[in-house]
Amino acid sequence: MQVLKLTINGKKHELLVDEHEMLSKVIREKVGLTGTKIGCEQGSCGACTVLVNKEPVLSCITPAMRFDGAEITTIEGVSKNGELHRLQEKFVEKGAIQCGFCTPGMVMTALDFVNKNPNPSVHEIQDALSGNVCRCTGYKKIIEAVAEYAQEVKGEKLKVKSPETTKGTVGVPRPYIEATKKVQGIADYADDHKFKDALHVKFVKSIYPHANILRIDASEALAMQGVRYVATGKELPITFGVLPLSQDETAMAIDKTRYAGEIVAAVAADTEEIAAHACKHIKVKYEPLKEFLTIDDSLNDIGTAEKIHDTTKFNNNIHKKAELRFGDQQQGLKEAEVALKMDFEMIGINHGFTEPHASTAFWDENGLTMISATQVTHYLHRALAKTMEVPLGRVRVIKPYLGGGFGGKGDPFAHEIIVAHIARKTGKPVRVKLSREEVFLNNHGRHPTKMTIQLGASKDGFLKVLDADVAIDGGAYGSFGVVTSYYNGVLLQAPYKLNNFGFRTFRVYTNKPQCGAMRGHGAVNTRFAVESMIDEIAHKIKMDPVEMRMKNFLEPNSLTVGQYRITSNGIKQAIKTVTEQADWKNKHGKMPHGHGFGVACGFFISGSALPIIWNELPQSVVHLKLDFDGRVLITSGANDIGQGSDTMLAIIVAEVLGISMDKTFVIAADTLITPVDLGSYSSRVTFMAGNAAKDAAENLRKEISNAIAKKKNIAAEELHFSENRIFSNDKSVDLSWDEAIEILTANRGAVNVSGKYISPKLGGDFKGAGAGLSPSYSFSSCVAEVKVDTETGHVKIVNIWGAHDCGKAINPLAVEGQLEGSWHMGMGQVMTESMDYYNGLLINNNFLDYKIPTSLDTPPIHTNIIESIDPEGPFGAKETGEGAIHAVLPAIANAVYDAVGIRITKLPIKADEVLRLLKEKSKKEIAI
Amino acid sequence: MIVAEKLYLKPKTIEEAIRFAKQYENKFRYLAGGTDVIVNKFQGNDEADCLIDLANIDELKQVVKNKNHLKIGSLIRLDDLKIHSEIKKLFPALLEAAHSVASPMLRKTATIGGNILCENRCIFYNQSEWWREAVGYCLKCDGEICIATGGKKNCFSKFVSDTAPVLIALNASLNIIDTNGESIILLEEIYSGDGMKPRKLSRTAIIKSIQVPTKEKQICIFKKLRPREAVDFSSLTTAVSKSENGTIRIVLGGVDPKPILVEGNVRDDKKELIKQAVKKARIIDNDFYPRLYRKEMITVFLERSFAELEKILKA
Repeated sequence: MQVLKLTINGKKHELLVDEHEMLSKVIREKVGLTGTKIGCEQGSCGACTVLVNKEPVLSCITPAMRFDGAEITTIEGVSKNGELHRLQEKFVEKGAIQCGFCTPGMVMTALDFVNKNPNPSVHEIQDALSGNVCRCTGYKKIIEAVAEYAQEVKGEKLKVKSPETTKGTVGVPRPYIEATKKVQGIADYADDHKFKDALHVKFVKSIYPHANILRIDASEALAMQGVRYVATGKELPITFGVLPLSQDETAMAIDKTRYAGEIVAAVAADTEEIAAHACKHIKVKYEPLKEFLTIDDSLNDIGTAEKIHDTTKFNNNIHKKAELRFGDQQQGLKEAEVALKMDFEMIGINHGFTEPHASTAFWDENGLTMISATQVTHYLHRALAKTMEVPLGRVRVIKPYLGGGFGGKGDPFAHEIIVAHIARKTGKPVRVKLSREEVFLNNHGRHPTKMTIQLGASKDGFLKVLDADVAIDGGAYGSFGVVTSYYNGVLLQAPYKLNNFGFRTFRVYTNKPQCGAMRGHGAVNTRFAVESMIDEIAHKIKMDPVEMRMKNFLEPNSLTVGQYRITSNGIKQAIKTVTEQADWKNKHGKMPHGHGFGVACGFFISGSALPIIWNELPQSVVHLKLDFDGRVLITSGANDIGQGSDTMLAIIVAEVLGISMDKTFVIAADTLITPVDLGSYSSRVTFMAGNAAKDAAENLRKEISNAIAKKKNIAAEELHFSENRIFSNDKSVDLSWDEAIEILTANRGAVNVSGKYISPKLGGDFKGAGAGLSPSYSFSSCVAEVKVDTETGHVKIVNIWGAHDCGKAINPLAVEGQLEGSWHMGMGQVMTESMDYYNGLLINNNFLDYKIPTSLDTPPIHTNIIESIDPEGPFGAKETGEGAIHAVLPAIANAVYDAVGIRITKLPIKADEVLRLLKEKSKKEIAI
Repeated sequence: MIVAEKLYLKPKTIEEAIRFAKQYENKFRYLAGGTDVIVNKFQGNDEADCLIDLANIDELKQVVKNKNHLKIGSLIRLDDLKIHSEIKKLFPALLEAAHSVASPMLRKTATIGGNILCENRCIFYNQSEWWREAVGYCLKCDGEICIATGGKKNCFSKFVSDTAPVLIALNASLNIIDTNGESIILLEEIYSGDGMKPRKLSRTAIIKSIQVPTKEKQICIFKKLRPREAVDFSSLTTAVSKSENGTIRIVLGGVDPKPILVEGNVRDDKKELIKQAVKKARIIDNDFYPRLYRKEMITVFLERSFAELEKILKA
């Protein structure tokens, strides 16, 4: 240990540090400035950027001792005298902040960059930010924020005040209510919460993909000073899983391990270092079993080998078979004048959220409290009660600010159950944070998928039949897999009218990290295949693929073949918007070789109409409390994971009550304080929690109206709520909000009301009819422009035009952010992202080798919001978080086809594969 | 917990640094920028207990021009190379190469000396301790065989520096200071070709500067293959230079444990030179792109480089 002197944000510190301690750790743990984030621990994500003597430094890979005597500025030191720095204001104003986890690093990087380059081009800004990973925004709004700030510095633009944020009107673009907190680095995420005397947990992980555990010897570890507890699987025998159907996981492997990386033992110690060191001294004796690593391995009869789970029905590793058929596919094939049968193969991908999982658990007189990075507080609540064997009323789950989810924080996790258990055993708060490698091993990402699709159409372009034969690789456990299996098929029954449609999906267990739900859940890969094949058929029948799609779209207020009720439907407007904007008519099929345009469409649910766990609770409840101070407290179990749901709730309540946003206050996702909302999955929150908030606000409005009506002797129906006033048309009543509250609370005190959302009864009465049922559906379309280097096979995306029908944009700034993030994420899957394995070991388990597109790889994104005004959505709104992703992947692949005439059937599109296909094509052409 | 005593030393002069190095002979590691060493430390691939941080040695940070050379201090950060007008004027390809390394933030810490000494990489080596144990430890981390090649007894970890190929193409040498004084060695000569121990420099040696000849005008074309436009290490780096006297130097990085050098003359058949370069590269499957693709790209990149050279010469 050495004494290190640092001046941090103007304050002098003398700190005792370990000689090889990283600066980030000193800043976060010793000084307590947790605005500096840790996302990758290898300098690949930029979240830890601070300024040292005015130079930016990646604090997670720089030893603190290097900087003895230095002056350091962290994100907390950027705002001055209670005022945001102008760059921070720009980040807030432009909507450059979603989950906010990358924001501190982005701001520090951009601040330094603009200081030294006062007149940057957009390309230079992209270049400057290319080492800072953002998974939410697609970089667009961040680049805009930096560019505008730079212009201001140059004096080109006068300071423009941020738009008035007091009007609570639906449809007004506004920053998230917590944006100023996030931009200053003072919003606390799961790992930023500090607890006195807490223990730290590290894991011993299986080194085999499939092996019996013969013996675990922890005696050496237990004897180490500072080690407080070692937990093994046998202590936590109760299974869990997000779906009641697949409770197939225990917190730690008990008798055998099912993937390399599965937790086998957990050490709790006084420090992370001691825990990590102790883990190395736990000896585990394994007996390797035959492993099953591919879909084909697991589909087949396995002979005498041991199955991954003994609960599967047959002598193979098939976890779930889902199959539904409508109409007559044989007849459809006969009717089709052009029929295609094509194979597709997609590799698995990971959510890549920037905040690694982190949790803290403690027990006291109220039972268990857990603070965790989760997007499903409700299901975690249930899983903890089950595994800890305590009543539901003895568990409290709190979601702090969350650094991105995308489905990856949508299950209850082993590490959460383990820290709850050790906290009970030791009587101390217990913390854990996963390394980036562990985040990848935890996975729950998009399933690797193999499929054979048949699609047929008439010569004049009408679809006659669609049949999808799909197999997905679920990894070692169930997660959301049963739902994924259905979504692979059922979500193909729109946006096109299909009379003869069927699918069969096999989900198999393999000895790899488990797959689950990820943005666009289940529908992304099969959608890619179908949209590619429509493009192919259009080409074959010499029809513009836009025209062909136009012929087949389902109308608003129609039923799909599987009895989905389509209400609002903006698909035609979406495709029209993007193709006009991209000048499709003059570009598609008309560019020189190597340059092409592609189009595609997408479709998604706006919240699952059925709950995961069958019961009669509403899908969402929102409480409002209004007391003498006139502020409406909104409590909701909805999990804001960076998508802006807290802000959405406030906007809706403010709109209904005609009050400004500053008269609202949101408390969300604390299972003790907030009423149940099922969680942030299936793109349900705006529709369901939004409707519950609207219902609650309407109930509150009734209470206020009734009180005033009684007092002022006027019919309640005559009262209007607008701009913080309540008045009648003739102004015989004209009250300020405060005056109205005085009337409301007289002789009564605080008023509490509740609102709820329950889906209408929907769907057919056949088995499997419930899959994919939603009270509403979203529609989207994308056009992509690419250039292909025919000598290297390199594909460069030049432009993305996208349009998404979200019903009504409650907060257009947030909607744009969701869309841009979706398109960026889709671009990642289609271009560079893949989870690669070697004998069951995940090779690219970090942000260097797992390749999320950087700001430099991201083309201009042209964003369009389509508003079809849904009849049942709150103010007409429906989902926007997931549905936009589907169209972008096939649009890019179809653009490659337009550019060079090769059909992409494997993702990601790697240059070597493109080159191989190009050669194959030219060989064929020579042969002809 | 018993943990070996750790040291962090900050010498002010080269001599002091070497003295420290001798003192902690078996357990030290020099830190220039440290961006490579620290990550390797996290992953347990570098277990040095003593870090000797060279950051405070100012004599390593100078650019000096003399009659025949430009001497570039080894501790100049990659991002700072562009500040020096001489480098910009004489060796724009070096700036291009430096700018292609990693990401902006890393380039503000990483140094040119560190980049040319960057540890070789392999997907079976640059992993956590848990991972390497699970895969069964490869040759480069005390295992028995090379896993990437399915059992060979040689290590083929990739040489990944982007600046070194350009510097070699420009005929650069190193000014090296060690316990026995100062010496000059051609840059290409420090690389062994053995992925296990890719550099022949003694452990205590410090590169004082990189000297690039300026007497004859040289033109150099730099190219890098990688999946993304930032952050990624090289899947193939090429540098092709032509000197006033007609010498051509082709250097490849990212396709062998060491940089591949092919020398020729403007009068030589370019196709032959390219063939030689392709033949020399011992590429294996340890990269985002498959072996054969990278091999094929050598020809494409070199042909393009020659075409660009010609274009410049004509102009």
